[in-house]
This record gives sequence, C-alpha cells and structure tokens, in this order.
Amino acid sequence: MPDQISLGRRNFGRFIIWGSAIFLILTVLLQSLDQTNFLTFGFENWRPTLYAYLLWAFCLCLGQVILYGEQGKRRLFILPAVLFVISVVIFPLIFALGIAFSSWNLSSPDGRQFNGLANVYQMWADPFYWNALKNMIYYTLAILVEYVIAFGLALLLNTQIKARKFFRVAFLMPLMLSPVAVSWMIGKSMLEARFGPISRLARELGWENPSFFGSHEMARSVIMMMDAWTFIPLMMIMILAGLQAIPKEMHEAADVDGAPPWKKFWEITFPLMLPVSITAILIRIIFKLKLADIIINVTSGGPGGATDSVTSFIFREYRDRSNVGYGTFLAIFYLIIIVILMTILIKIADKWMKPRY
Amino acid sequence: MKVELYNHIVRNGLTRRTMLKGAASTAALAAMGGAVPALADGHSALRAAIMKIPGVGMGSPGDAEWQKVGEMCLGPVKDRVKPGEFKGVELTFMGLNNQNLHNFLFRGFLKPWEAYTGAKINWIDLAQADYNPRLQQSIATKTVDFDIIEMGAPFEGDTAGQGLLNEMPDWVKDQIDYDDLVGYLQPPVGTWDGKAYRINIDGDCHTFCYRTDYFGSGSITGRANPPKTWQEVNQISKDVVGKTDPLTGLPAHGFLDPLKGWGGFGMYFLTDRAGPYVKHPDDPAFLFDIDTMKPRINNPGWVQAIQDVMDLIKIDGAYPADQINADPGTTGFQQFLAGTGSMLTWWGDIGSNARTNDSSVIGDVVGFSMIPGSDKVYNSKKGAWENNYNEAPNNAYLGWGVYVTNRVEGDSKKRKAAWSAAAHIGGKDISLWTSAYPSGFQPYRNSHFVYDEWEAAGYDRAFIEDYLGSNLDTYNHPNSLNEPRIPGIFQYYSVAEDELAKGFAGQYSSAQETADAIAAAWEKITDSIGRESQIKLYKASMGL
Repeated sequence: MPDQISLGRRNFGRFIIWGSAIFLILTVLLQSLDQTNFLTFGFENWRPTLYAYLLWAFCLCLGQVILYGEQGKRRLFILPAVLFVISVVIFPLIFALGIAFSSWNLSSPDGRQFNGLANVYQMWADPFYWNALKNMIYYTLAILVEYVIAFGLALLLNTQIKARKFFRVAFLMPLMLSPVAVSWMIGKSMLEARFGPISRLARELGWENPSFFGSHEMARSVIMMMDAWTFIPLMMIMILAGLQAIPKEMHEAADVDGAPPWKKFWEITFPLMLPVSITAILIRIIFKLKLADIIINVTSGGPGGATDSVTSFIFREYRDRSNVGYGTFLAIFYLIIIVILMTILIKIADKWMKPRY
Repeated sequence: MKVELYNHIVRNGLTRRTMLKGAASTAALAAMGGAVPALADGHSALRAAIMKIPGVGMGSPGDAEWQKVGEMCLGPVKDRVKPGEFKGVELTFMGLNNQNLHNFLFRGFLKPWEAYTGAKINWIDLAQADYNPRLQQSIATKTVDFDIIEMGAPFEGDTAGQGLLNEMPDWVKDQIDYDDLVGYLQPPVGTWDGKAYRINIDGDCHTFCYRTDYFGSGSITGRANPPKTWQEVNQISKDVVGKTDPLTGLPAHGFLDPLKGWGGFGMYFLTDRAGPYVKHPDDPAFLFDIDTMKPRINNPGWVQAIQDVMDLIKIDGAYPADQINADPGTTGFQQFLAGTGSMLTWWGDIGSNARTNDSSVIGDVVGFSMIPGSDKVYNSKKGAWENNYNEAPNNAYLGWGVYVTNRVEGDSKKRKAAWSAAAHIGGKDISLWTSAYPSGFQPYRNSHFVYDEWEAAGYDRAFIEDYLGSNLDTYNHPNSLNEPRIPGIFQYYSVAEDELAKGFAGQYSSAQETADAIAAAWEKITDSIGRESQIKLYKASMGL
C-alpha cells in the first residue's frame, strides 16, 4: 500500500527537484554563454556546472523519498547508480562524439574546430588504419589456434597426472605477467637477433642469421605467439573449470557402452564444453581487440606496419602526433565495429551455447 | 656533464694523486701572485672553487654539493635582489626527473636562493616520456599551471609561438652573460619575433662515431682515414660485406642506420644523412619552404639520403640481421657499443658510454669526428644539384633551456622572482659546474671551452680536449642544421617515421614514392595545425 504523502510534502519534493533542475539548466546556459564569449561572467572552469549537476542529482534522489515515501526509498537502490553511469559513461561518450567530428590538433593555435565528416574521409583514405584493421583480422583468427592449445592443456590438467597442482599454477604464471614485461623479457631480450638466447639456439641449429621481426609474416607470427603465451592460460583455466563440471556419470556410461576415447571426446566432452568454449573465445576476442602494449614495445607496428594493431596506431596518432580529433574518431569507429561484431557473434553463438544433450 | 662520462674519468683517467697534483699546482700558482691559469673571466677564483666541489675523483656530488654550489654562485642574484624581497611569492617549476638529475639538481641549486629571497618553489617532476603529452595538454586545454619550465628549443613553437612565454628582461641578460653561447645557440634559437625567452642550460648535437680499427694500414677497409663524405660511408658499408670484424670475429658491418622509428627522434638520424645534401649554405631552410611550408622532404636531396639507406638494405649483409627493427637505441647501445658495425651518428652519450659502459667492448677502438659531408649539395632555390663539397652537422634537439611563462605577467614581484630563479640555475659560473660534473647537461657556452679551467680542477687535459673539442666544431659550424622551432615539429617527425618504415620494408616502390608519401602527410599536418600560422611561426623562429 502506497504511503500517504501530504500535499505540502509533495509540493516541496517537486520544488527541490524542479528547482535544482532549473538551477542546473541556468548554470549550463550561463557557462555556455561565457565560454562562447556572448556574455562574460568570469568563469574559470566548468566546476560550477559540475556542482549544479551534483546538487540536482542529490535533490532528485531526495525528492524520490519525499514524493513517494517507501517506494522512493526503493528507487534509491538504483537511481544513484544510474546517475553515476550517466556521468562517467554517457556524458563522456557524447563529448567524445563531439571531439570525433572535430579537427583538434593540440599544436593548433585555433584549438578544436568542428570539421563535419572530414575525419571519416581521412579514415577512408588512411592506409595505416585499414592495414591495422586487416592485421586485427589475422590476430583474431589466431584465437582459434590458441583455443585448440588451451583445450589441449586443460584436458591434460584435468587428467590424473603427476604434479597436477604444480602444473596448474605454472601454466597460469604467464597470465600474471604484465605484457610490458613479456615484451622486454622475450621480445627485446630473448629474441634479440644477436645476443638473445633463442637467437643463439637458432644459430646453433643452423639458422645463420636469425631474425624474428625481420619479415612481415615472421614478425606478425612472433607477436601472436607472445600474446598467445600470455593469454592462453586465461582460456585454459575457463575450459578447465568447465571440464571439471562435467558429470563423471556421462563418461562412465560411455565406457560401459564401449565408446573409444575420441568418440567420448567428440560426442560428450566437446558438445558439453561448447557454452564455456564460446564464452572463453568471446572474452579472448575482446582482449585481443585491445592488443597494443606488446606491439608498441617490441616493433612499434613494424616492419612496415606488418604488426600494427588498431590500438597501437591510435596510440601513435594521439601520443606522438597530438591528433586528438582524428584519434578519437578512429577509436569511436573501432568501438562501433566491435559492438556490431560482438553482437553478431553472440547471436550466432547463441544456438551453439545450447548443448545437444 | 653526462653521468657516464664523469664516472669514466673518475674510474680510469684520474687518480687521487693526479687530482691532488692539479689542486696543489693551482694553489701554488695562486700563492705566487694570483697567477691562476688563464681563466674565462673575472670570476676565476669562484670558478676554481666551485670546480672543487666535491672535487674530481671524490665521488658523485649530491644534494649537499648542489646546495653548496648554489650558495656560492648566489653573487649575481644578491647584486639584483634584496634579502627577503620575494617573501610570499610562490612559483611552480615544471621539469624532468631523468636519472634523478634535472629537477633534483635545480632543487639543490635553488634552496639557497629560496632562503635568501624568501620565495617558495613548488615542483612538477615529469618522466621524459610524459613530458610532451603533459605540455601539449596544458597548452591545448589552457591549463598552464607552471611559472618556470625546463624545455627543449623545438617546443618554442608550441609555447613562444602561441604567446605563452614571458620575454626575458634585460637585467637577466646581464646576469647570465647572455652572449656567452656557442654559435648555434645564438639567436634566433631561444628568441621569437626578435624577443629573447630562453636561458640555455645545455647543448646538443650529433657527432660521427667510428671504429678506429676499421681504418689505417692493414685494416679491412684498406682506407687510411675515416670517411669524409656520405658517399664514402656507403661505399665502405658495401666494401666490408663478407669480411670479418677485427675485434669480435663476427661479420663486419659499415654504417648503422636505425630503420625503425623512435617516437619521432629517429628522424634526426635520417637528417644526419640528408643534411649535407639538402642544407645549402645560402639557404637557412632544409625541411620546408619558408614562404609556403611546402615540404622539401621529397626534393632530390632528401630522396638521395633515403635512397642511400635503401641501397644498403638491398645488399645482403650490409646491415646486421633484423636491422629493420633496430631503433636508435638498438644501433647505439646494442650494436655499436657491443662491437657490431663500424660507423654511427649519435648524441654525446655514445662517446661517453663507449669507455664507461660495462657492456661496451669498443672503448679502445672508438674515434669521433663531425658528421660527414657530401660531394654534392642540392640547391632547393635553383632546383639543381651543385657539385661541391658541403658539410651540415646536425644540432639535433638543440638542448635544454629554462623559460618563464606568462603566468607571471601583471605581477612584477612574481615576474622578477621567476626570472631571478631561472637566471640563477642558468648562470655563467653554475653552468661551468654542470658541464664538469654529472648533471645530464653538456657544455654550451664559449667559456666552457677554456681547457685550463678544467685542467686546474684536476681533469686530464688530453681527454678533456678530446671530449670538448668533438662538440665544438659542430656547435660553431656556419652551416649546421638547426631544426625549425614550429608547433608540432615532432608530429612531422613521427609520421615521417611511419612512412619511412613502410619504404624501408619495401612497401613503396622507390625512395621518391616514400618521400612523396611523407610530404603528403606533412601537408596534412600543416593544414590541421594551420598553414598560415605555421608559416608565420616558422619565419619568426628563423628570425625573419
């Protein structure tokens, strides 16, 4: 039964909500006029708007309780979270869209200038960006190989082998390492063409001039391997958890029926593992699409862009060239591609997620 | 002085006995009627005294020594500022924290200054990698929150060009002896539209490093002397293919070009090669046409330099394996110092590390000279090659300076305080000390090259003449390369590195196509920053 709220209390509730909202709108308006030099109020920064927003948010929450009593209190479980998300996700995204359609080179004395679709045209004709996107396809396809290896390792660790606990921890170690450390320890040290121990071994084995980042295919493959080495444990641990959840009775029944190991795997384990596998692959794709640190440290995208990822290219646009407008557009466009791609993948995966048994 | 070089001198070149001998002889000369060796100026006693803090060979100086030197060099400040005159003034100083020097050193120098003047300094310490983004963001978002900044001259376009700096008062010029600078640091460097903004605290240049065991009778090159031109450099690189390095017994290599970018800094190394081709003595410009900002990067001179590199890439064995992934850090520290390759251009670090770095194997077989010239030079104005010998050494990055921002404008007390602090750390005497002891800064004044002062302080004369002399020729060369101090200069360098990487990887069909791609990208950057504004600032930076 709803609380009995007096008219005076209702009016007060409405007053603080609408009063703070009008105050917020007025503050934004005055600050905008000041910012565009129509009127001068001497605002030094946008903090007044921030404070007005916080006041409105507080009044909105308080107003719920005043207006709706117990029902309003329940709304407080979700309303602050909604306001917080709007503040730190929606607003920045809107601002980012504004920047994405601007020419904003930090070195330009003119500051940020709206430039319509110029960044779209620039991206369309930018061979570096499309090259990076093409590389991302290669990198993403490599996940299939990673998945096979991760599945194999998980199967191995799920059996009764000696020192199983040790291997489980040991196989997880690469995941605990920072990709930056991996870049330096492996990419810049162990694979160093002249002194690196792996290069020395390669020479011993008859490769006269070992070069792990010299050719396009080789460099891309080695980057894939370093990244895979770091993240295969993540997939492995997810699959291992899935394997341990399969009821033993299923395998025992198959044993009674005399099913060979391969048939047991293909007819029981693999289908039952599909939901976990799809989840692991989707999570891995999300991680992979952000690949940048190893590339930036080891090859800077080279040789000739062969290892460049979208993120490492955007990093150069931002950091080395202070090209904020174009860099933001590339990032937003990439985000849209990822959202569309992931939505399609999840839709397709949906039917695979349902086990056949 | 670079830390490594100082350590080397202490470790190898100087014993306590020789140091005491030097000090004793100085004292004896002084006792004979003040006949201290020919010193730079009237501050000879003070200069001789600070050169003994802590004393060459007495360990690396720290905060106590920095404060002591700061205290001893306060004279020029006291001549112009009354005790406690800046009481209540707070200044913010933004600088680097490289090697625990730079800002740490300045803190020590300025502590006595703060005690004397009553001002307080707040510090913003930045790692080198964070410096450019922090500065650019401060400028773009109009949140310059520092009154004094340690900054390289290439950023003058971003700051002075946008009216963010405060003009140096005349009394500061007197205090720091403004004209006592090596040739390349003389105006227009440090000035904008004829106004002075920079107090120099450092010098920078690339020099040519070579292996002495590759030259002389019986050497694998068969040449008596190191190369004088880039044509010879390339010929040597081709000639030594298939031969064995006399020091390491591994395959011999010639010049080490960094084929991978380095956050924009890699462009300096192609510029080393291109300089003699493209910097005509009658023309101050070499990267852009001054009147239009049209890139010159695709003119025949630059294309020749790119072609020279591509010629070597085509020859199997001319470069070490995996050179396509070698940035300047790799060519300098992992290759040249380790005995791979025989020729290199770099900043002073390689010279000092060659004899001090534990992983260096070339300490006894390394020589230095000015960057090679060319037997032809492209005259951009006439659009034709001229077949005469040309030199154009590269003063890459131009060195660090101290600047005051226009936050102090409108407050005469604060302005005077900021300039007084900046002038103190850029003072003539204090700079001799920073040249002689580990500081991260190189000599940059003519008065730093008075070898007697160094010898009197206990330095080995032969070594110090070799060390200082190697830079002096470049600093004072009449046709040296001083990069344009225009906004976003590192954006141009960065995008050039990307296109060069493609060219060197064979993704463009020729050097010309590579250069054309760079030129197109540079045009875009110029348009995005603002062509008219860039032209105006370029001219201002050239003093035109």
